[in-house]
Amino acid sequence: MMETHMHTLLVANRGEIARRVLSTARRLGWRTVALHTDLDAGALHVTEADVAVRVGSYLDIDEVVAAARDSGAGYVHPGYGFLSERAPFARALAEAGITLVGPTAEVMDAMGRKDAARDIAVAAGVPVVPSYDLADDPSSFAYPVLVKAAAGGGGKGMRVVRSAGEYAEALGAAQREARSSFGDDTMLIEKYVESGRHVEVQVMGDTHGHVVHLFERDCSTQRRHQKVLEEAPAPTISEEQRAAITASAVALAAQVGYTGAGTVEFLLDNATGEFYFLEMNTRLQVEHPVTEEVVRVRGERVDLVALQLQVATGEPLGLAQDDVTLEGHAIEARVYAEDSFGGFLPQAGTASLVRWPAEDGPVTQPTGTRVRVDHALVSGQEVSTAYDPMLGKVVVWGADREAARTGLVAALDDTAVLGLTTNTGFLRALAAGEEFRDASIDTAWLDRHEVPAPDGDLARVFAAWTQVLLDTRPADARTQGGSAGPWHADGWRMGADPAPDTVTLGETLHVVDRHRGRVDEHEVRTVAVQDHTVHLIVDGRAEHAVLDVRSGDVEVAHRGQRWAWQRPDPFADHGPEAGDGSLVAPMPGTVLDVRVEQGQQVAEGDVLGVLEAMKMELALTAPFAGTVTTVDAVAGRQVPLGHVLFHVEPTGQEEQG
Amino acid sequence: MSDLRDLVADLRERLATARTGGSESARAKHTGRGKLLVRERVDRLLDTGSPFLELSPLAATEMYGAPGETPVPSAGIVTGIGRIHGRECVVVANDATVKGGTYYPMTVKKHLRAQTIAAENHLPCVYLVDSGGAFLPMQDEVFPDREHFGRIFFNQANMSAAGIPQIASVMGSCTAGGAYVPAMSDETVIVKEQGTIFLGGPPLVKAATGEVVTAEELGGGDVHARTSGVVDHLADDDAHALAIVRSVIGTLPPARAHRTPAAEVEEPHEPPESLYDVVPTDTRTPYDVREVVRRIVDGSRFHEFKKLYGDTLVCGFARIWGHEVGIVANNGILFSESALKGAHFIELCNQRGIPLVFLQNISGFMVGREYENNGIARDGAKLVTAVACSVVPKFTVVIGGSYGAGNYGMCGRAYDPRFLWMWPNARISVMGGEQAAGVLSTVRRDGIEARGEEWSAEDEEQFKAPIREQYETQGSPYYATARLWDDGVIDPADTRRVLGMGLAATAYTPIPEPRYGIFRM
Repeated sequence: MMETHMHTLLVANRGEIARRVLSTARRLGWRTVALHTDLDAGALHVTEADVAVRVGSYLDIDEVVAAARDSGAGYVHPGYGFLSERAPFARALAEAGITLVGPTAEVMDAMGRKDAARDIAVAAGVPVVPSYDLADDPSSFAYPVLVKAAAGGGGKGMRVVRSAGEYAEALGAAQREARSSFGDDTMLIEKYVESGRHVEVQVMGDTHGHVVHLFERDCSTQRRHQKVLEEAPAPTISEEQRAAITASAVALAAQVGYTGAGTVEFLLDNATGEFYFLEMNTRLQVEHPVTEEVVRVRGERVDLVALQLQVATGEPLGLAQDDVTLEGHAIEARVYAEDSFGGFLPQAGTASLVRWPAEDGPVTQPTGTRVRVDHALVSGQEVSTAYDPMLGKVVVWGADREAARTGLVAALDDTAVLGLTTNTGFLRALAAGEEFRDASIDTAWLDRHEVPAPDGDLARVFAAWTQVLLDTRPADARTQGGSAGPWHADGWRMGADPAPDTVTLGETLHVVDRHRGRVDEHEVRTVAVQDHTVHLIVDGRAEHAVLDVRSGDVEVAHRGQRWAWQRPDPFADHGPEAGDGSLVAPMPGTVLDVRVEQGQQVAEGDVLGVLEAMKMELALTAPFAGTVTTVDAVAGRQVPLGHVLFHVEPTGQEEQG
Repeated sequence: MSDLRDLVADLRERLATARTGGSESARAKHTGRGKLLVRERVDRLLDTGSPFLELSPLAATEMYGAPGETPVPSAGIVTGIGRIHGRECVVVANDATVKGGTYYPMTVKKHLRAQTIAAENHLPCVYLVDSGGAFLPMQDEVFPDREHFGRIFFNQANMSAAGIPQIASVMGSCTAGGAYVPAMSDETVIVKEQGTIFLGGPPLVKAATGEVVTAEELGGGDVHARTSGVVDHLADDDAHALAIVRSVIGTLPPARAHRTPAAEVEEPHEPPESLYDVVPTDTRTPYDVREVVRRIVDGSRFHEFKKLYGDTLVCGFARIWGHEVGIVANNGILFSESALKGAHFIELCNQRGIPLVFLQNISGFMVGREYENNGIARDGAKLVTAVACSVVPKFTVVIGGSYGAGNYGMCGRAYDPRFLWMWPNARISVMGGEQAAGVLSTVRRDGIEARGEEWSAEDEEQFKAPIREQYETQGSPYYATARLWDDGVIDPADTRRVLGMGLAATAYTPIPEPRYGIFRM
């Protein structure tokens, strides 16, 4: 066993947050230790720490504590997620004489349970959402109500119930999720605010009894309680509301003797302007960068991880509330491996090509906006469904909200992930939309509205044009006379203009006329082609995209959205494909439940089985009424993407046949 | 027309018209069946951006119809050389919108010419078949002779034997003798519910045996792909069939070039379009042919041979797209010295294995007592022998007049140049119209006067006018190209490009040892 070194920090996390914490620790001269599972052996955070220790799971408290002890770490930063809010972990570290960068186990215990947290809030004079008791008669509730797991977070184990009739089923589902996610299915029931904004306050307490706030963030742009866009400061609140809400947060933190960085979440009722305490997160938040971007301490940007380490080593914060001011506006967009326009299904695969708008530290653009990207994804990296699907965060600061918003749109235009689909195009469309511009998106907006899928027209122009550029590039070794042989691919025709070329993308044939500079009806001119990035003038507008053109397919990232088309394969199977009656696994996952047997009659919409992937339950429903002819699903079995689980023959097939 | 530019504009217009193919209704009917037009098929068959060196696109111009009409544009067949998987291939594609793709005499000739080019240059052949077979009303001109329909299959068999791949895609009818095109091919594709192959179609079957059968049952894609084994691949549609053909070509063993460019390619110092300014359109106006040479060859560099001797024939070495070539170009009438110089130079090129390029602008060999007595026929024969026995690839471009024995000495069609192109200002005939009228009227006058009769100048002029007119018509490059006396009329500005493509396409065959007939000394 190594001698414990007081300035060694073990980061008990992975991905972008591990990199984020390591970056500050290293800047401050700390010795750093990273953890990794076998899956993450080659991950970026591993290479960026002084020492890396393999663990079987990031969630295994004994292993992580042992890793800290064995690597001589005096401090452990838990990041977010994983063990960050697990009191037993805090206790285990304390027993091992290691300092957790975070609050005490007692505070976690108190704030980690929503019921306990609520009592503390009430005691601190912080307004809370009116609630009901589980034992009450559901028919007596004023619907809608929210059913949520007491131990929950991140939207898991949570259901909105609009009528007494739905109550039992929703409660059951929420409990199931809570049990599998948190091992605790205790439920809370409270008033559901129809239109609200999510406003949260960043607080920081030191071990000397001093608590300050670092203003608020607005995370109202959410989908199923998962934050999508986050910003600071909150765009819709008045100075009075700001003062009240931040004061409440500080009061709550002081009430529990909070130490380190914490976030007090509130629900702002749009109808009344009232705000209610939701919960307190006893860790660094995913969206902490927007605070770092807008908060100034005596005029300087703030590093929340540095403050956390300062508190952890027992130093006073050394700042008064009056030292903390706001400057400008920042917005964060979370880039996830998910197909937002395809049912938000999680995606996995190799990120063949990755472009972030700021690769090595923040970049200040000529317009004055500043782009910061916290990420853990580089080209060639494997994205598995084993961990959180967040790949990175694009954060843009601007002098005002509109500058930050337009800067974010531009930054997302410069973000490209190929090889798997991400939500970047969705984020881009959302940030560019007038609802976000007008800050009129409430916490339920995304659950009620569909963001229109981007039009692939321009992406097709890029794909077709670039494919022809590459196919006709004179580097072909077989070309006689090297780069300028007489057979060079310029479409030469005797006594006529050069012939246009054709490119098939999916089912569509595109005509690319290099001679006239056209792709179908679009006028196209090449500006620059370099390292997979293509700049074109299309119909007089400058556009750019990132492309990967391979022999069998072409991929385009345009305005953040990934498009992929196979090149036609003449020898591909032209027989009937898995038709409408086949239910395939929409993602790799585990079969949770099989509800039908072969030969069983089903009605349209009947649930045939349930697949669990990414801790989400997906019901596989009959596409039409018919007979189940194939069942290739066994509960508990892992299935790969595309696995045909059920097949339904439509009713009337036999009669017709 | 006085300017070469006008002639080129006229050429482009003629080409554009020919390339539209059959009538609007025929094309609409064709595409209405989900079929691609013949030139779309060729474009989709070739590599992205591949050039297409189309052969004789103006074949059958003003033939088979009323005077001035062209009912069978391009002779109803598209032939040429294009690249598939980076490899030059000969494509022969029927245009079903033109008389159902049936074979007129010029259709046969054009098909055979494409096969000759494939055989001489060892280029894989792709046949895109969509034809009703022989044009029955003209069966005597397409069926029985040596160079008629049957030769197509003779060529296929012999090319296959020589290792030249024969690939067919049946994209429409493929009837009677035509059925042998896919059957004789190495590998064959058919488009389902579109391509049919049978020796006798449903009407013939009914007439012969009384059996009533549909075309699809008789010889559709499913029949041939699943039952008869006449084809190897079943395609969903034209695009799929073409993709399969491309894939087939992709499986061929790589071609080996025997000659590769000797140097980096250098553009000529003058742009190709400047040819329009240096070449007079009247073939009687003299100009220095070196002005043409410097606009065709790499870096405008010309290593001239025997510059000071026999100066009506310009000979010398140059490079075109990096390929070494020997250039033989007329700069006036051929004298004994010019013929001797040409024969010497051609021997040099054969000795060194350097392809020859003839730039033909020749009114003939010098005539007159002095020249005949000095044996100009003997020296002309030496040049003709040297040209005829050349083993290196030869390319001929008729850039002006092509008259009389000058045509022979300068590698006319009869001397098997690998390719022969004409400029739109070219003229071709055994002699000039005026000379022919003069010769014929002299013979006639001699006869009349021998009978003691008189022939007035007016009558003589009446006699000469139609002769002049006939020579004027028949001397046109479009009359020539209609009859496949060449491989196409080209824009002079394209001369360098087509020579380069031709040089590359001829590089897959080795050059044998040269051997000559007796040079008359």
